[in-house]
Amino acid sequence: MTQTLDLANVREFLTRHFIDVFDTMLSIKAIPAAKTEVPHHGERVSGSVGFAGENMNGVLYIHVSAPFAKQVAATMMGVTPEEISNDHEVNDVIGEVSNMVTGGLKSWMCDIGTECAMSTPAIIRGNSFSIEPMEDVQRDLLVFDCGTEKVIVEIHIKIN
Amino acid sequence: MATKVLSVDDSRTIRMIVGKAFRPYDCQMVEACNGEEGLATAAREKPDLIILDVTMPVMDGVTMLTKLKEDATLKSIPVIMLTAESGRDNVLQIAKLGVRDYLVKPFKEDQLIEKAGKIITLQKKAA
Repeated sequence: MTQTLDLANVREFLTRHFIDVFDTMLSIKAIPAAKTEVPHHGERVSGSVGFAGENMNGVLYIHVSAPFAKQVAATMMGVTPEEISNDHEVNDVIGEVSNMVTGGLKSWMCDIGTECAMSTPAIIRGNSFSIEPMEDVQRDLLVFDCGTEKVIVEIHIKIN
Repeated sequence: MATKVLSVDDSRTIRMIVGKAFRPYDCQMVEACNGEEGLATAAREKPDLIILDVTMPVMDGVTMLTKLKEDATLKSIPVIMLTAESGRDNVLQIAKLGVRDYLVKPFKEDQLIEKAGKIITLQKKAA
C-alpha cells in the first residue's frame, strides 16, 4: 500500500527509524514513551536539521540533556565521557545523529514520491528555551526512554 | 606495507568511527573533511580504499567521486560511499558513478569492515 505524507505516517516512520539509529550506532535501546513536553530545566543540547521540498518543508529537532549528550558522544566515539574535552565533539555527534534521523526521513519521503533537500545540522544549547512552530506548521513530539534518560524528537512540518 | 584507507567526511564523529573500525587491522588511516581535501589527499597518499561521505560542504562526495573517476591516476582507487539517505534515487545515482559499494548510515563497524574486506586485504594487527 502506498503511504502518503501526513503527520501520522511521519510519526510511525520516525519512531521505527530513531530506534534503529540508536540501536545501530549506540547500542542503546530506545523505548517509545508517553508524550511529554520538552523539559525547561537543566542544560539541554538540541540538534536540528531542516528539510524542504516542493510539497513540504520542516525541521527535525532531537533534544537530550547535556550529560546524556556527552554520554552519547563518548559511546559513539569509543571513549569515556571523561575523555571528551570540549563541547565541539558533543555537538558533532548530536549533529550527526540528527543528520542520520533526518536522512532516513528524507529517504522515506523520497520513496513515497516527495523529494526534498536537507540542511546541514545545527546545535542549540541552553538551560531554558522553547521552540515554537510558525503558523500553519504542524508540530509533533516523540518521546523515548533510553535507560534513565529521555530523548525527545520534535518535528515541525508544513505540508502544502 | 600497511594498507592505506582514506576517510572523507565532514563529521569528525564519522571519521573517528571509521578509524575505530579499522583499528584492529594493519591499516594506515588518512583523513579529509570535504571532497576538495579528499581529492588532494587521494592524489598525495594514493590510498588503497576511500570511504567517502555523500553530503559535505565545499565539495560533496558525488562531485569528488566524479572528479576522481576523470583522473587517470586516481580512477582505479576503489570507493565505498557512506550516505544518510537510502532513497531509491540516491542509491541509483551513487551506483551509476561507479562506486564499489555503499553503506547507509546508521551502520555498524562490522558492516563497514565486511564491505572493505571484499575490496582490500585486511590483516589483523599482531597481538
